[in-house]
Amino acid sequence: MQAFDCAIVGAGPAGMSAAIELANAGARVAVLDRGQKPGGQIYRSVSESPLPDANVLGPDYTAGAELLTAFSRADITHFAGADAWHLGDDGRILFSHLGETCELHCREMLVCPGAMERPMPIPGWTLPGVMTAGAAQVMLKSDAMVSDGAVFAGSGPLLYLIVAQYLRLGVPVAALVDTTPRQNYLNAALMLPRALRRTELLKKGLTLLAEIKRSGIPVYRFAEGLKVLGEENATGLQFTTKGQTHEIAADTVFLHQGVQPNLNMTRAMDLEHRWNLKQLCWQVVTDPFGQTSVPHVSAAGDGAGIFGADGALITGRLAALNILHRLGRLTLAERDRQAAPDLAQITAMAPFRAFIDRLYRPTDALRLPQELSTLVCRCEEQTLADLRAGFDRGARDPNALKSLTRCGMGPCQGRQCGHMVAGLLSEWRDERPETIGYYRLRSPQRLLTLKELSRYQAASAPAQTEAAQ
Amino acid sequence: MFRSLRPKTAPEITLSINGHDIIATAGQSVWSAMALNGQTVTRRAALSGEDRSAYCTMGVCFECMVEIDGVPNQQACMRQVSDGMKVSTQNITESSEATNAGL
Repeated sequence: MQAFDCAIVGAGPAGMSAAIELANAGARVAVLDRGQKPGGQIYRSVSESPLPDANVLGPDYTAGAELLTAFSRADITHFAGADAWHLGDDGRILFSHLGETCELHCREMLVCPGAMERPMPIPGWTLPGVMTAGAAQVMLKSDAMVSDGAVFAGSGPLLYLIVAQYLRLGVPVAALVDTTPRQNYLNAALMLPRALRRTELLKKGLTLLAEIKRSGIPVYRFAEGLKVLGEENATGLQFTTKGQTHEIAADTVFLHQGVQPNLNMTRAMDLEHRWNLKQLCWQVVTDPFGQTSVPHVSAAGDGAGIFGADGALITGRLAALNILHRLGRLTLAERDRQAAPDLAQITAMAPFRAFIDRLYRPTDALRLPQELSTLVCRCEEQTLADLRAGFDRGARDPNALKSLTRCGMGPCQGRQCGHMVAGLLSEWRDERPETIGYYRLRSPQRLLTLKELSRYQAASAPAQTEAAQ
Repeated sequence: MFRSLRPKTAPEITLSINGHDIIATAGQSVWSAMALNGQTVTRRAALSGEDRSAYCTMGVCFECMVEIDGVPNQQACMRQVSDGMKVSTQNITESSEATNAGL
């Protein structure tokens, strides 16, 4: 089987920009992506929006079309609808594609698994009708689907963006319930002078907030004690602010409190991870070029640390430059020369990112479940009380708790409960997250049927053309 | 209540959701076809049997697992509709499995 020079998992901004850079330098690149079209979550359906006018989604979204065009023009072997479920440090990748099990080999591997939303374990969060704000965006981008009269609750830029998008489309919104605590504004204010160097980003955020305010929809700030109402379906949201309890009726409640790296791929590869104290999440350890603790494995984009779509584009390109160097196609000096503007850009973007991280840092009260009856593990239906009982019986780390209670053992493989379980153990033991650790994950990283496993297909790299050699 | 803003220009297909014949648009996700037709219960929780529905719609929560053409554990948010497809709410729970095993 002919090996690819580099295989990239994930076709969001990081994966796409890396693939373009590598392919244009003559490397044989394979890109595996779950989506039917490239773009990742951020540029979903940007090349063929089902909306009558995709401009309502804003220029940050429509700008993605350029990247998609460059991606489609480059000489890249793109496997659309490919779900990678085993990434070996021997350069072997196993993935599901069109109902078959496929295998490919590569010299260098770049993982760009992207971000997922931080779960928000408030009472009632498993009721039908409770979804994430990201889900509202996905449904709008891929299927032009909206929910009339929904409540949006939580904190962070993505929440305000989707509310503004709904309002531009004339979709009724019941309320925006903002959970950003007063203290966050005070703490973030100290970081404002440095962040102000990026006035255009600050302006963009303020414009969104002004747009929401102008619309006249009810906006509640400093909300606490959130609870989804309803027995079999969500019927509304209850919360407290300024000493008053409010109830807003709605059959859809969209929750959001920021994003975190989607860890399963980097964790299953047993790469070194660290706890990000500012963003309160785990992330894979890399050098400035995305190289991980396994030298021929790199990571880029939000899946390697939350930095946003613009940052992902840059980190993808930086990873590609280093991979080209490792493949012997760029000298070290040339790599560094070409990387200099991107590295400078990352440094310039950092203060604004730090400001946003501080302003929208989730509170422990929303990050960790508070009521004993709240489900922590949605798949295996383990409540806070169940987990505490497991801890009291002697389960001191995530894997022991998993063995004892089955938390994290369901189909999502801990994607939802992983951070919460580690956070709870950290609190109960009064020890740092690094000491607590995370679930030990293994391949396959998706549900597989035996039928699919029995259908095997090798995916060979195209023969090297003379021009590329 | 979910609603579609899609202009009616794309080709249409027919699929069945929980026994109801439904007209959908080619390229649409199975989850959106369900939601737009009031079929929002995707699966029953494995222990309690409580109704569950899509939560993340981007493939990381696995709440939208349905049965498609007799194959269980299919993520409705990640699959696209096709003509003649049969979708049903996934009803695999501890008690249903015990019954199947003759317990």
